[in-house]
Amino acid sequence: MKKEVPLAITFISGFLLIVALFIPHEPFGSLQERFNDWYIIVSGFTLILGVDSLILYHWRKIKRKEKEAPYSIILISTFVIVLAWGIYSGVKYGNPFAPASSFLRYFYTYMFVPLQATMFSLLAFFIASAAYRAFRARGLNATLLLISAGIVMLGRVPKGEEAAPYFIGITLILLAIVSVLEGVSRVEVYEKIIFFGLAVVSIIAIFPAAWFLKFNLPRLADWVMNVPQLGAKRGLFIGIWLGAIAMAIRIILGIERTYLK
Amino acid sequence: MIKIFLILQFSLPPLPVSEVVAKDVPNDAGGKIQIEWELSPDDSIIDFYTVFKQKKIEGQWSEPETLTVVRSGTNSLTDTDCKDGVEYRYFVRVSKGEEFSDSPFSNIAMSSAQWFHKKRASVLILLIIIVGLLLYFIQKTRKGEELFIRKIAGLDALDEAVGRSTELGRPLLFVLGLGTIADIPTIAGLSILKRVSKKSAEYETDLIVPCFDPVVFVAAQETVKEGYIEGGRPDLFKEGNVFFLSYDQFGYAAGVDGIMVREKPGAVFLQGYFYAESLILAETGNSIGAIQISGTTAVTQLPFFIAATDYTLIGEEMYAASAYLTKDALSLATIKGEDWVKILLIAVIILGIIFESIAFFTKIPWLHVLKNFFTVV
Repeated sequence: MKKEVPLAITFISGFLLIVALFIPHEPFGSLQERFNDWYIIVSGFTLILGVDSLILYHWRKIKRKEKEAPYSIILISTFVIVLAWGIYSGVKYGNPFAPASSFLRYFYTYMFVPLQATMFSLLAFFIASAAYRAFRARGLNATLLLISAGIVMLGRVPKGEEAAPYFIGITLILLAIVSVLEGVSRVEVYEKIIFFGLAVVSIIAIFPAAWFLKFNLPRLADWVMNVPQLGAKRGLFIGIWLGAIAMAIRIILGIERTYLK
Repeated sequence: MIKIFLILQFSLPPLPVSEVVAKDVPNDAGGKIQIEWELSPDDSIIDFYTVFKQKKIEGQWSEPETLTVVRSGTNSLTDTDCKDGVEYRYFVRVSKGEEFSDSPFSNIAMSSAQWFHKKRASVLILLIIIVGLLLYFIQKTRKGEELFIRKIAGLDALDEAVGRSTELGRPLLFVLGLGTIADIPTIAGLSILKRVSKKSAEYETDLIVPCFDPVVFVAAQETVKEGYIEGGRPDLFKEGNVFFLSYDQFGYAAGVDGIMVREKPGAVFLQGYFYAESLILAETGNSIGAIQISGTTAVTQLPFFIAATDYTLIGEEMYAASAYLTKDALSLATIKGEDWVKILLIAVIILGIIFESIAFFTKIPWLHVLKNFFTVV
C-alpha cells in the first residue's frame, strides 16, 4: 500500500491533466490551474521544512564550533533580524514590501539587490574564462566554433562591421606569418608547398574578406543565428520534448519510481 | 482631408465603425465572446471607442451597458463576462470630444463551452502514436526481446567520478539546479542522484546535496536515503548532508560556490534545470579541479556546461539516464519507442519541407496541409 497509493495518485493526476489538455469544457478546463494551486499550497508547507533544515544545518555547525561557525552565526542572526523586521513592517504598513517600509528600503534595496548583482556580474568573468577554453582552436569543431562566435560577436556589437575588416586583416596576416614559419620548419617538399600556399592564400584573401565583412557582417551574423544555430537548437528541442514525453509516460505508468520512497 | 478638417473645425460627428461581428470564442471553456469591427474611417482623429453590450432576458433586450472603452486603432476585444446559452449583441460608439456616432448592432452571439480543442487534434494524434509505439515496445520487451542502447559517456563516467573522489578522500557534491519537483529534468536528476548515492554508500564517501527548492529537498533526502539503503550502508547516511540552501537564484549559486571552495569535492554533479547560475557553478567546480558531470535540458545553458565541465548529458540523454543506469527492460522500451517517433518526425519534417517548397513556387493551397495540421494553439 505504501507504493500503490502514490502510484495510483500519480496515474490519475497525470491522466486527468492529459485529458484536460484536449477538453476545454468544465470541469476539465480549469483542472491544470487547480492542480497548480494545490502544488503552491503544498510547496508553501514544505518551505517550513526547508527553513528547518537550513537552521538546523547551521545550528549544528555553531554547536560543533566548526571553522565556518562565524558564517553560520551571521546567517542565523540575519534570518532572525530580517524575519522580525519583515513582520514589523508588515504589521505597520500592511505589507513588508510596501514602498514606505524601511525593511524594503534598507535591507532589500541596499543589501539584497547589490549582493544579487555582485553574483550575477561574476558571470562576465566566468564567461571569459570558459570562452577562452572553448575557443582554443585545437580541432576542426573548436575552430568552427571560434569562427562563428567571432562573426556573431562582431556582427552584434556597435561598430562591429567597421572593426571587422581590421580584425580579419590582422588575423589573416598572423595566419600567413604562422604558415611561413611552419613551412620553413618542414622538411618534406609537399608540406612546404601546402604551408607557403596557405600563406599566399591568406595574403590574397585579406582585401576580399575585409570588403565582404564590411558590407555583410550583420547579415552574416544573423544568418549564423537564424539558420545553423536555430536548426541545431530545434533539433535539440525535439529530442528534449520527446524525451520528456517518454519520461512522463514512464512516471504515469509507474515504470519510473525514483521519486517514491 | 476635407472631412477631417470639417470634423475638427465644425464638430461634426465622426464616421461610425462598420461590420461589427460577434462570435463565440472557439476551443474554450465557455463564457467568452469575441467582438470584431472595421475601424472608423476617422480612426486617426477620434478619441476612443466604447463597446456596448445587450443581453436578451425573457425575450426582451436589456438596456445597453458599457462593456469597455478602447483606444483608437483597436478593432477587436473579448467579452469574458458572458453566460453560456444567453443571447448577446453589441454595438460600438466612436467618440470625438462631445460628438459621437454609433454603429449598427452586431449579429446575435451566444457563448458555449467545447468538449474538444480542435486546434490540438494534431497533438492528440501524435500522442496516440507515441503512446502506441511505447506500449508496443514495452510489450515486446515483456516477451523477452533485448533492446540495445548506445553508450552515453557522461553516464558511464558516474562511477569513475565517485571512485576518483574516494581515492582523493574528498566528498561528492550533487546540485539539482533551480527546477521544482514539477520539472521533468529535476526528476531525471533525482534518478541520477539515486545512482550516485548508492555508489557513494558502496565507496563510503560523503555526498553533499544542497537544494534550492524545499519540495525537491524533501525528495532528494528520501532519494539519498534509499540510495544508501540500496548500497547496503544505511548507517553512513547523514541527514545533514542533504539540506535546503536558499530559494534565491544567486544566493543559491553563492552558497554552492562556497561549499565547493570550502569542502573541495572530488566530483561535482550538476544535474537538473539551470539558469544563469550554471556557468558560475561549473567554472567554480573547474577551478577546484573536481571532475564534473553536468546534464540539463536548458538549451541556453548547455554551451556553458559543454565548455566548463568534463562530461555533459545533452537534453534527452538526461531523460534516458534512469533507463541506462538501471538497464530496466520497460524503461529501455520507452527509449526505443522514442527513437521510432523521432524517425517518424524526421520523415514528417522532410515531407513538410518538400510540400512547403513546392507550395512556395506553385501557390497550391492544399500543400500547406502539414503546416496547418501542426500549427497548434
